[in-house]
Amino acid sequence: MMHLPILPILLPFIGAVVLMFPFFNERTVAQRQIALITLLLTLVASGWLLHDSLLFGPLPYALGDWRPPFGILLLADPLAAMMLVLTSVLALGVSLYAAAGDDQAGRFFHPLFLFQLLGINGAFLTADVFNLFVFFEILLIASYSLLIHGGGRQRTQAALHYVLYNLIGSAFFLIALAILYRVFGTLNLPDMAAKVGSLPTDILPLARAGGLLLLVVFGIKAALLPMHFWLPNTYAATSVPVAALFAIMTKVGVYSMWRFHTAVFGDDAGELSLLGMNWLWPMAILTVVVGSVGILASKSLRWLAANLIAVSVGTLLLTVAMSDVKSTAAGIYYTLHSTLLSAALFLLAGLIQTQRGQAGDRFVRARPILQPRLLGILFAVIAMALVGLPPFSGFVGKVFIMQAAAENGYIWRVWPAILISGLVTLIALSRAGTTLFWRTQGLPSENDNKVAHPSQIVGISILALSAPLLVVFAGPLTEWSMLASEWLHQGVQLRDISVGNK
Amino acid sequence: MNLLWVPLLPLLGALVPLLTGKMSRNVCAWSTALLPAFALMIVISLIPGVMAQQLPSVHYEWVPVLGLSISFFMDGLGLLFCLLILGIGLLVILYARYYLSPTDNVGRFYSSLILFMSAMLGVVLSANLIQLWFFWELTSVSSFLLISFWSDKSDARKGARMALTVTGAGGLALLAGLLLIGQVVGTYDLQAVLASGDTLRDSALYPAIVILVLLGAFTKSAQFPFHFWLPHAMSAPTPVSAYLHSATMVKAGVFLLARFYPVLSHTELWFGIVSMVGLATLLVGAYSALFKHDLKGLLAYSTISHLGLITLLFGLDTDLAAIAAVFHIINHAVFKASLFMAAGIIDHESGSRDMRRLNGLFKYMPYTATLAMVAASSMAGVPLLNGFLSKEMLFTEALHQETLGSMSWLIPILVVIGGALAVAYSLRFIHDVFFNGEPINLPKTPHEPPRYMRVPVEILVLLCLLVGIFPQFIVGDLLLSVGHALMPNGVPYFSLSIWHGFNIPLLMSVIAVAGGMALYYQRRHLFAFQSQFAQVDAKRVFENAIQWLVIKAQLVHSWIDNGSFQRYAMWLVVAALFAMGVPLLNMPEAAGTLPQTQVDPVIVIGAGLIIIGSIATTLVSHRRLLSLVMISIVGLVVSIAFAWFSAPDLALTQLSVEVATIILFLLALYFLPQKIAHLHLSPPRVVRDLVIATLAGAFVGTLCYAMLTHPMTSISDFFVANSKTGGGGTNIVNVILVDFRGFDTFGEITVLGIAALGIYKLLAGIRLFVPATDSDGRPWASEKNPLMLAQISQSLLPLALLVSAYIFLRGHNLPGGGFIAGLITAIALIQQYIAHGVGWMRDRGDLNFQWFIGTGLLIACLSGVGSWVFERPFLTSWFDYFSLPGVGKFELASAMVFDLGVYLTVIGATLSILANLGKLTTSDRPVRSPVKGGRL
Amino acid sequence: MELIYAIAVGVMVTCSVFLLLRGHTFTIVLGLTLLSYAVNLFLFASGGLRLNSAAILNDGGTYADPLPQALVLTAIVIGFAMTAFALILAIRARADLGNDQVDGKAIPGDVLGDKTVSADKRANS
Repeated sequence: MMHLPILPILLPFIGAVVLMFPFFNERTVAQRQIALITLLLTLVASGWLLHDSLLFGPLPYALGDWRPPFGILLLADPLAAMMLVLTSVLALGVSLYAAAGDDQAGRFFHPLFLFQLLGINGAFLTADVFNLFVFFEILLIASYSLLIHGGGRQRTQAALHYVLYNLIGSAFFLIALAILYRVFGTLNLPDMAAKVGSLPTDILPLARAGGLLLLVVFGIKAALLPMHFWLPNTYAATSVPVAALFAIMTKVGVYSMWRFHTAVFGDDAGELSLLGMNWLWPMAILTVVVGSVGILASKSLRWLAANLIAVSVGTLLLTVAMSDVKSTAAGIYYTLHSTLLSAALFLLAGLIQTQRGQAGDRFVRARPILQPRLLGILFAVIAMALVGLPPFSGFVGKVFIMQAAAENGYIWRVWPAILISGLVTLIALSRAGTTLFWRTQGLPSENDNKVAHPSQIVGISILALSAPLLVVFAGPLTEWSMLASEWLHQGVQLRDISVGNK
Repeated sequence: MNLLWVPLLPLLGALVPLLTGKMSRNVCAWSTALLPAFALMIVISLIPGVMAQQLPSVHYEWVPVLGLSISFFMDGLGLLFCLLILGIGLLVILYARYYLSPTDNVGRFYSSLILFMSAMLGVVLSANLIQLWFFWELTSVSSFLLISFWSDKSDARKGARMALTVTGAGGLALLAGLLLIGQVVGTYDLQAVLASGDTLRDSALYPAIVILVLLGAFTKSAQFPFHFWLPHAMSAPTPVSAYLHSATMVKAGVFLLARFYPVLSHTELWFGIVSMVGLATLLVGAYSALFKHDLKGLLAYSTISHLGLITLLFGLDTDLAAIAAVFHIINHAVFKASLFMAAGIIDHESGSRDMRRLNGLFKYMPYTATLAMVAASSMAGVPLLNGFLSKEMLFTEALHQETLGSMSWLIPILVVIGGALAVAYSLRFIHDVFFNGEPINLPKTPHEPPRYMRVPVEILVLLCLLVGIFPQFIVGDLLLSVGHALMPNGVPYFSLSIWHGFNIPLLMSVIAVAGGMALYYQRRHLFAFQSQFAQVDAKRVFENAIQWLVIKAQLVHSWIDNGSFQRYAMWLVVAALFAMGVPLLNMPEAAGTLPQTQVDPVIVIGAGLIIIGSIATTLVSHRRLLSLVMISIVGLVVSIAFAWFSAPDLALTQLSVEVATIILFLLALYFLPQKIAHLHLSPPRVVRDLVIATLAGAFVGTLCYAMLTHPMTSISDFFVANSKTGGGGTNIVNVILVDFRGFDTFGEITVLGIAALGIYKLLAGIRLFVPATDSDGRPWASEKNPLMLAQISQSLLPLALLVSAYIFLRGHNLPGGGFIAGLITAIALIQQYIAHGVGWMRDRGDLNFQWFIGTGLLIACLSGVGSWVFERPFLTSWFDYFSLPGVGKFELASAMVFDLGVYLTVIGATLSILANLGKLTTSDRPVRSPVKGGRL
Repeated sequence: MELIYAIAVGVMVTCSVFLLLRGHTFTIVLGLTLLSYAVNLFLFASGGLRLNSAAILNDGGTYADPLPQALVLTAIVIGFAMTAFALILAIRARADLGNDQVDGKAIPGDVLGDKTVSADKRANS
């Protein structure tokens, strides 16, 4: 199956394009079925890709059959494959949740959703700078359109900020990209990695400028301080499923940092090695701090969830800053955990919102939740996982990162950030939970249409189940993370890649 | 029998009550008790091995990367705690059966209780540091569920939250400590760690480790100053208190002290901290206990005080102190559990826990009263009871320590005072409740509890007596085996007997008892003295602290993020400035080695136009129409520049996009204010922005200059070389677009398609403001479609289509191609809209953009997938030359199919964007949906 | 000549950034458009500047670096899509929020000589 690496891009593309046709405009059920099938196929393809890449190492794919570095190269290494699987699982859960009715709040939800997926998957797979830019634009324009799904003043306002902000970012991306092309004379990442060590000294400042500018651009995606402002409002304002899907967006930024600042400007980049890490350190720590402040300041569950994402990204960026094999591995595992569970929290917040009448998901005394048992258990699991309390996945990631930090002698930079933000999260979520579920008055609202739709429950459960599963299978998962991280750090040599006959 | 089952059985048992919860309470209770009972039997069956120092253990790999494994082992310490946890646990299950009312959710209660039990077992049996922490946190979580059992009560919620926060914080400290230990020793295997005490004590991290581990232990076992959470955990049902605060939760803390005693103790630091904290807790607890009117409150503070006593013993630097500590762990567990249960019975049968109202209960419940009194005397340390023995040992050790150097004499005295206080509050418990006149308006007349509710108390009190009278026989061996765990290099000789002859410790006991009686007798004065001090409610203090934190956080947050895009954008640009500026500042010289080309007038004029145009655009940005004209000049010059620098394709594209963009802007301007005031320009802000903008320009310009003047080697030569031979086209740029890097174009048209969808959503059901007049107050022309324009454009259309077809076909070899052709077609069609109006167009078949885009994208995709048939990757191009009579030799390339996809997509997207927006200016605008703000 | 080119780009960036930092959506989009012109020139420059050299094969002589040209072309198209979206979003925002401030908070007396009426009313008249 030589075409496997491109399937995670093509499958969503085809699904989305098919759903674009007027034929589906009014056929809700058909839309959902096709979307679901597409997602399942994508999941299968991604899983297969992961299996193969773990077994045989990175799988290259030369588009147009042009040999790298001249053509565009896709590179499905274990890291990319893991991210693909993660994204497919997330998308599956979110899409099921949306299929309960949120997808009909406006038109073109499913095609846009799939386009978004296509953009994200492409960004994970491509090994070409400009192609990465293109996929960034795809996932951005899709996210713009999804962000306003459902309408309302709030969303329009949030979208205005988000769109304009990212447009500025795209401009910087192009500048950085131009510089890098000038410096390296290539757009191919492995090629860059090969050349970075032997660049003429007089051009190094240019390379630095390009690399740092890229750090800023990826920082926007990752919501790294001071480019984090867009995040909370966007996540809190948009519709629940979209917010949940966006949980992966910040990770795209981090992932790109891994691709460039860990792999290209890595240890053997000579003059340019660890480019920008001295900047990333303080900013990542500040991101955690500001995020924690936001967590404490949150007045509703969705704001809380949004700030939780900020904190998790900050934590993740700490692992990027440490930039050794074990830290990256820790980061990879932590990504799986934090993405799925923060998404789950968003979806759950959606249900709670609908079941508490006027109060919505705000932390005030209100009427009891319609299904306290079900939602309560879900909340407990998700919250414990996010706080990092055993027996759920959070603690593995936490221990992983702390160990990596200790082995690198970064205890004083990393541990306080993680432990304190953990405590803050514990305080905030325990207050949130006790308030939302126990601090009640009056009777639950009677109308039954507020009861959670089965597909919503299934959707959330798919995501929430990761909390125990990531622990039960922590053994293999951590092994794979290590493997993926090793591949990322050592990189691939173009001469070892036998693709592209032209 | 496998050790793994000991924690595992209760864990499974946690499910049982959930199943049987709906049945009668008897069934539920018995079914719940089943698995723990079985676990207890396993433990008992393992005793001989432990006694013989053949420690049973199990080990399974779990997460090798983290050194986390599933491994348990049982030494004397573990055995002792297993017996306490399971034994008292079973009694509590029996007791709770009668304590809980039918309205309570019995299933949930038992389930959390058993969960907690297995978590405790996990803690005491763990042979892996991380796993130990795993269960440690699990106890915090499950105790949260137990304390908050009556979740509708605010007290329960707050108390539970407080306990969770405090112990959770301690847990984090403990995690840090354990990971540090792992770093120092190089393994997380507990037995290995226990064997490497000197390594730990010598390492530089030792102080940090001790402090972090102790933080974990002290928060858990409610040591001063972290003791405040425990009394508020009393809002839990009494069985829970009886369990958590006698044998388990709080004992986990002291267990940790015992567990790491061999490797972390025997240093100034350890003895100093532990003894001081223990002493302080002992006194503070005992003193506060005296003034509590709530029965459980008194017991809670006495618990704190006794935990302090145990901690103190672990902090004394004598051989036997640790043994005494362990001994007191047993005794305290036994008598305190029975006391809590008794208190529960009293509460249950009299409806009150207030000692000011509970009086003379002896005549109502003589039997329970007797039991309670025995237990209380044991708490006071009366001879012939177990409490007495461990207290004697404490006094003895207190006399022989040099923990505080020359001030060590202080400890015995303070200890005696603590003892006296203990006697006093025990006396109060006995006298106030069972004698001291008549009960004062109790909700119900007190009476003896159901038979079986008393059984657990009886058993425990019996234990008090047995241990008190035959200590060596009952617990001697157990203590010895624990001693082996605590002191690997040999346990010193100790004798457990009631009578050690007339000695100072005995004297101290006498003083304590006498002093206690005196204190109680004179309690009025004490109460009067105490009443001068304001009562502080730890719960309120704690909640206020949290509230304060939240409010401060909100202040800081709103200070950082004021919701203004201008601030966001500013920070983004500033970040970029740093990214570009710092390297540039370290660059010796911008100019590179490349020879620079001659300046020619055209360039100067072009640059001049661009500069003037940009500045003008900025200056007149408040007069929008004008600024549009200005920026369009810039756009034009840019496209000319492209042409000038030998990039005809770019020039064409830029030009056509320029047209489309300007049409778009004009349409947009129709819906936006045409003129705005300069209100928003505050001088300081302008200066700030000018500085930022200038720097940005300077940096980018410098980078551009540096780029242009530094030599490069590029992969481009490959494209020049292979464009014709490999790509079958002479227009290299176009070949790159549709072949070498066709995948980029593939993505690019996808973006167009998505944009079309998004814009459709944006315009759906929009509530519009349209100007009645233009900005100068002139009404808009009523005549929509000027005839002249109509005629011309109509005749132009075929021409335009012809041109676009030509541009499309020649694209592969000459400037042009699908994209440009598409734009030309689109613009030509737009022109029809403008000229004839939407209605006219609709009558001639409204173009459905969904079809156009969808088909275009599909064609592009298929042209790529097609190559799979030939075992070639996506988008592999194929081309060949044919010759037909008449037509002559011509080329067919799969790239042209791809380009056709591009062509269609571009038409569809451009039309949908412009036409949909254009429609809004007419009566054909899509009707607004009922949803507020419109559905997108 | 390289210098002049760079200066022109620099000035464009300066002006566009200043526009970006304003408070009106239209102005910001204007700035973005200007910025994209500048960025396209910048990206184009990464291939070096070649006067009257060939872009098409077979007419001999030296060739301008075609790769940046292709990149710029893609960038232009994507930029067009983005600008369109931003502009129409600005209209939407004006419609939903009642003003064209980027933060949605109206500034009194900000808009000059612009009497708007509900679109539906005008359609009926």
